[in-house]
Amino acid sequence: MSDGASDPGRVRTALDRAADRILDASVYERVGIAVGSTGLALLIGLVIVALAGYDPLRFATQLVVGSFGSERAFARTLQFTTLFILAGVAVAIAFRAGVFNIGVQGQLIVGGIACVLAIVWLAPYVPDGRIGGTGLVAVGLFASVVAGGLYAALPGALKAYYGANEIITTIMLNFVAIGVVGWAVDGPLRPDDARSVRTEYLPDNVGFPQLLFEYPSFSLVGLGLALVVVVAISVVATRTSFGYDMMTSGYQLRAATYSGVDARRMIVQTMTLSGMVAGLVGAVFAIMVQGYFIDPSGLGTYGFDAIAVSLLAANNPIGVVPAALLFGALDSASSHVQIHSEVPVQLIDGIVGLVVLFVAAPELFRMIAERTGLGGDRR
Amino acid sequence: MSLAELSARRGVRLGGLALVAVLAVGTTLVAAFDVPLERIVTVGFVNRALLAASPIALAAIGGLYAEKSGVFNIGLEGFMIFGAVTAAAALYGLGGTDPTQWHVWAAVVTAVAFSVLLTAGYAVLLIRYKADQIVAGLAVWFMGLGFAPFAASLIWGTVRSPGLTRVTQYSLPYLGEVPVVGPILFQQSPFVVITAVVVVAAWVVLYRTRYGYWIQAAGDNPEALDTAGVNVNRVRYATVIFSGVMAGLGGAVLLAHAGNFIGTGDTMVDGRGWIAIVAYLFGNYNPLGAAAAALLFGGLDMLQVQFQTADIAVSGRLMGLAPYIGVIVVLTVWGKTRMPASVGEPYETEE
Repeated sequence: MSDGASDPGRVRTALDRAADRILDASVYERVGIAVGSTGLALLIGLVIVALAGYDPLRFATQLVVGSFGSERAFARTLQFTTLFILAGVAVAIAFRAGVFNIGVQGQLIVGGIACVLAIVWLAPYVPDGRIGGTGLVAVGLFASVVAGGLYAALPGALKAYYGANEIITTIMLNFVAIGVVGWAVDGPLRPDDARSVRTEYLPDNVGFPQLLFEYPSFSLVGLGLALVVVVAISVVATRTSFGYDMMTSGYQLRAATYSGVDARRMIVQTMTLSGMVAGLVGAVFAIMVQGYFIDPSGLGTYGFDAIAVSLLAANNPIGVVPAALLFGALDSASSHVQIHSEVPVQLIDGIVGLVVLFVAAPELFRMIAERTGLGGDRR
Repeated sequence: MSLAELSARRGVRLGGLALVAVLAVGTTLVAAFDVPLERIVTVGFVNRALLAASPIALAAIGGLYAEKSGVFNIGLEGFMIFGAVTAAAALYGLGGTDPTQWHVWAAVVTAVAFSVLLTAGYAVLLIRYKADQIVAGLAVWFMGLGFAPFAASLIWGTVRSPGLTRVTQYSLPYLGEVPVVGPILFQQSPFVVITAVVVVAAWVVLYRTRYGYWIQAAGDNPEALDTAGVNVNRVRYATVIFSGVMAGLGGAVLLAHAGNFIGTGDTMVDGRGWIAIVAYLFGNYNPLGAAAAALLFGGLDMLQVQFQTADIAVSGRLMGLAPYIGVIVVLTVWGKTRMPASVGEPYETEE
């Protein structure tokens, strides 16, 4: 919370603000809704497991073991968490500004392929070893940010200047990204010696250094990068005039226009920023997890689950972190369940849908709280 | 009213413009690849386009009614997925891997019945508990993407069903042999005919009956409807349930035309529910216009078959993207439709 740590006065105000927030009933309420939604969705999931004739207790145990039960499981949880933090922040930026970017999935695909292509093309001109590798990683991250940003700017501009509903255009652009990148990975970008559908491998010197964990698909550097993005975005959102304009044009369009904000340009900028972070998800996936790029129809649905992550966090970049940990754990547990359980793993996707459904209906929880008297003195 | 007329007229012009653009792109493509048009637009193509369009048109009619009454049902895609998987499960449950035509119809009815239950719950969340319509609609999609393959795995062990059966086309004697018109009108899937009937009926009810005016008023001026003594929320419950049922029927029809369920990736519905939303926007909330737009998208979807049979070397996967790109073009040229005034706002009776 204390990002301006050197100045004691600022630390004090930051602490005050944090205290205010904790005391704010609506934060309690939001956390309550998030916990309630997740709990209820998991409960329904377990009931379905029981109805389908499996042992719900065993399934619940497998969820925990599969996400936190071993160092390997925990590293895998953190791997997914890293991707969900970035993707969740990408969604949160747009949703907070009242723009429904459902296209994070497409933007991360475009960002990921741009990252891989930039690195593979540049690699012959860069010296081997650590310095060259670090340079290539930087280039790859940059390429993904640019590509993701542009791919999101398009629906932003179509909404701002032509009134095209961004929910639908971004979903269509997801299909287009999957189709075009899938075609390219299976065609012009597929090396002759590749037995499966994929691009060339990234050079050996490209990757995040392994720290602490020995799990090859996760590095604390990746998680650190995601957390830096969280802090940067929340600073931009809460401490800059750009962030303020972004929020107000989302919720108080008339007021924002009155105070001289160009709302249309704001929409394009919001989408671009959201897409830039989404592009980064693709780069981290390519560099940290995969080491090359695959047919995007077989990629995880990080961009969609990120909508649930962001909603659970009430579209707050800081809140995205615990929500991403929850979804990271669920995804990690999926990998475990797939191998060690009879229960079809798609159930977990359904549970994610239930979480989103309950988050959409806070009134439901208010009613439950009022009926049961758990909600305290609301109203 | 004059504003509405103006925008409607402007809408017609814009729609014409979009059609001209599509035709121009088509002509250029044909010219560029040097293919005679008659090899692209064949009787078979029209039939395939009608088959592909009917699920989209059904869902579009449903979505149109809900939105006219003031509720944006963005969950059409999800309800289509549930409809398709329910129909597949019922078909398999009734007839195994060798079901009869009676089983097909029973399966479609089962899917519709299940859709009633599902959307009744959804309507309560939206109307009684004032759920965020966009987020709840997305949730239905996510639930469909999860629970449909889950159900398929429980039943068949994989997310795909084995080959079940398709609905057989009816064929009228003699009439079916009339060139061009015969194969299109008199040898056809019964669901194409049902879709056509639903479309026309939806137009008549919306614009020519008292209930249709209630629906329009519920979206445009709920206070006036309330003052006139009609329960706004009751109208909205009816339209939301109707929209889900139509989407579920659309999914079931999709399955009856395909003959087996596919639950990989975005499932066999593959964006058709979203395209349905664009279809009724493009049709400016007019059922006939929505059906025409659905036919346009169905045609775009089937172009890849034509290109293959005409030996044009374009990747099938890239050609398959035509409807999605068509949707973006349509929305861009046609984005500013005149939405009903109070879409998305829960209505509270003032007492």
